[in-house]
Amino acid sequence: MRRYEVFLKKDGRDEFRHAGSLDAPDDELALVLARESYVRRAEGDRLWLVNREHVILGDPEFIAPNADKPHRHNDGKAIAEHRRNVREDGS
Amino acid sequence: MTGLGSAVREFLLAFADDEHLIGQQHTEWIGVAPFLEEDLAFSSIAQDELGHAAALYAIVAGDGDPVDDDLRIDDLAFGRAPEDWRSAQLVEITSDDWAHALVRHWLYDAAEQLRWEQVAQSSLTPLAEAAARAEREEQYHRRHADGLLDALLPVPDSGDRLRTALADLLPLAVGLFDPVAGEAEAVATGVASAPFDSRLDEWTDRVRRRFDVDPARFLPAAPTGRLDRHPDFGPLLVRMREVLDLDPAAIW
Repeated sequence: MRRYEVFLKKDGRDEFRHAGSLDAPDDELALVLARESYVRRAEGDRLWLVNREHVILGDPEFIAPNADKPHRHNDGKAIAEHRRNVREDGS
Repeated sequence: MTGLGSAVREFLLAFADDEHLIGQQHTEWIGVAPFLEEDLAFSSIAQDELGHAAALYAIVAGDGDPVDDDLRIDDLAFGRAPEDWRSAQLVEITSDDWAHALVRHWLYDAAEQLRWEQVAQSSLTPLAEAAARAEREEQYHRRHADGLLDALLPVPDSGDRLRTALADLLPLAVGLFDPVAGEAEAVATGVASAPFDSRLDEWTDRVRRRFDVDPARFLPAAPTGRLDRHPDFGPLLVRMREVLDLDPAAIW
């Protein structure tokens, strides 16, 4: 069995969204089984299936350093407050 | 067309009974199919077949003009005595083995496609409409059955199980093409385009191509005229009526 990731989209609106995953022995059966597992109540009218082995994984260790860079967050309110505090403390 | 006449009624009941029982048989795999995704797909297919049966029973109950009355459809679907059924034995036997259920699914749906084609241009308009709807659903059924067989037939153990099931099922499957009562009148009045057994060779060719099977295997069991019920039918009808029999007067 292979593991597939299932993405659905409603025609004309929204982007493809991850709907879940699916086990199937090959691509053809993945399509056949995904229809009744994920679209049986017309939850979408476009379907993408991605073989899990073809997903390129971003290692959490590789992602983590960017969690520590507040200067990249364009939060004017926090910056204004910080500058006001510095000004008031300095006067 | 006003009124079906008893012959055409018999002809339609045989088709409805086959659709009903194959649907009921498939539902017995709900929750116990080999894996979750297959459980959902096979349940959907069962639901489709029950829908086809309901459409055909509705035409019979309304004498050609489909009724929207579940109780009258249920009378035909659950209320008749075993000797009044016209089902083929292929859909009456119990399949408690998955390979058996899968091969029956393929054999039945290969024949079902040809059977709907016989009434796709029917003089009975609701029947032609039911055929058009059924064919949209049957494309999925065939793709499902073929997809599984493509994956499983080349695997040594699975392939052996499937071929064993095929050998058991073929004589009964050929019985689907036994002429049913009322068929001559159905053809004469344009309800069906030709006798169903005129498509037997085409079905046989498909089976040979699919399973690479020896043609000598296609010898049918003795024709029953669909008047003899298989021993598995009685217990199946009891299971089908299990909830209904708790309180036959209940309103659902």
